[in-house]
Amino acid sequence: MNSTEKIKILYIDDEQNNLTSFKANFRFDYNVLIAATTDVATGLLRDNPDTRIILCDQRMPDKTGVQFFEEIRTEFPEPVRMLITGYTDIESVIDAINRGHIFRYIRKPWTDADVQSAIEEGNKFFLTNSLLHSRNTELQSAYDELGKFAYSVTHDLRGPLLSLLGALEIAKASESAEELKEIHSMMGESIKKLDEFIRNIHEYYSLKRGRLVFEPIDFNAIVHDTVALFRIAGIMDHIRFNADVKQEGKFLCDEISLKIILNNLLSNAFKYQRKSAIDKFVEVNIESNSENAIIFVTDNGIGIHPNHINNIFTMFYRATSEETGSGFGLYNVKDALNKLKGEIEVTSKVNEGTTFKITIPGKPNG
Amino acid sequence: MVDTKKQHFIVIDDSKLDCFIAEKVIRNTGKCESVQSFLQAKEALEYIKKDIAEKPYPNIVLVDIQMPVMNGFQFVEEFEKLPAEITNKYRLYVISSSINDVDLSKVHTYRSITEFLNKPITSNNLSLLLAKV
Repeated sequence: MNSTEKIKILYIDDEQNNLTSFKANFRFDYNVLIAATTDVATGLLRDNPDTRIILCDQRMPDKTGVQFFEEIRTEFPEPVRMLITGYTDIESVIDAINRGHIFRYIRKPWTDADVQSAIEEGNKFFLTNSLLHSRNTELQSAYDELGKFAYSVTHDLRGPLLSLLGALEIAKASESAEELKEIHSMMGESIKKLDEFIRNIHEYYSLKRGRLVFEPIDFNAIVHDTVALFRIAGIMDHIRFNADVKQEGKFLCDEISLKIILNNLLSNAFKYQRKSAIDKFVEVNIESNSENAIIFVTDNGIGIHPNHINNIFTMFYRATSEETGSGFGLYNVKDALNKLKGEIEVTSKVNEGTTFKITIPGKPNG
Repeated sequence: MVDTKKQHFIVIDDSKLDCFIAEKVIRNTGKCESVQSFLQAKEALEYIKKDIAEKPYPNIVLVDIQMPVMNGFQFVEEFEKLPAEITNKYRLYVISSSINDVDLSKVHTYRSITEFLNKPITSNNLSLLLAKV
């Protein structure tokens, strides 16, 4: 919410004169909505969910202001409620305030200064509350992630370790050189899996805690660096790879986030190939100018089943048991894109392949 | 003679190495008639549905908990829906690296799970298990 915008307030009173003079007095300082009946007021609240403060006269024809506030409290819990009333109703007002329905009351006839100070106080209260609310939401999602994290760590770190332990036991008892070789190569796989998980945790952490550093991007260099690592690891063997980069003008972005995105998408594209396919290919197309970059990563691999496609960006979700994976990669991709305000689309067909399309806005120069 | 009774085994685990370990350990007990490994729980379920051969002893199924697509618990739930003349032929054991309380207590909520085993599977704990069968 923009703090420089005028505060939106709703004033409810059955006397037209009061409404008119209220609006005349405060329309320069606030965005004032007025209602002569509680029904109109409810309608206005529905249409204006950003209303921060409601002032209501206690003596409305169909109900009291206190009753009205009690009624709307569930549907509109956020706006700060204030009652306008004469001395005669003071008992019911005290009661309502004590029961927490009303933030404060304004004595009738009101003065501009009274109303103004009440609105300013009410607004502070509103802002504190909504800040608290959004912090609580953030905290809750951090807790949820931590919970998933702790659960997954026991499996993803402990799993490969226990496999190694099991393999060592068998190796001790084995007398065949052939079998030992086989066990060793499987132990290597298990260690790689563990290492991949740890690298993913590192990526996750750099994304969560790291600051974005915007600098001119050389996509050719990023693709080259990424692919060089895959080549050494041998995961590109027998897969046709083609990179097409068209770069015009200076594209400013955070290089680490871009590398995380490309590294994960390309690694998936190479990994989830159909083993029996004859012509396996992976393609990356990048077009960028100073305004944005559009990246396509395409493969003709195993594809993603429609049942899983909505969940692929969820932390620790895995749509297949082909190959080893941590369930972390695409989550990190999505997280990096959120930080860059980028978007990702995926189209996929089982046994035909998958295309990811990424659009990232460049940071304006200077 | 008790010693001569040989079991059929099914291992379900998404980790190739863990399947390999389980197979080795199982064969080394000398009480193994056959052992079948599945990387995907769905495939194991299909196999169990179709396997109508009469066997004198119950088949032993070792199933991992955390697996993509269909996890161990989902497998057990599907298994329990099968007709009794099939399920009677199997004895399920859950085998996992999990030390999570929720997983461990969930194991007891399934009537068809005989026992929980910690990974890695060793000849010691497998022998103990077979002694009880």
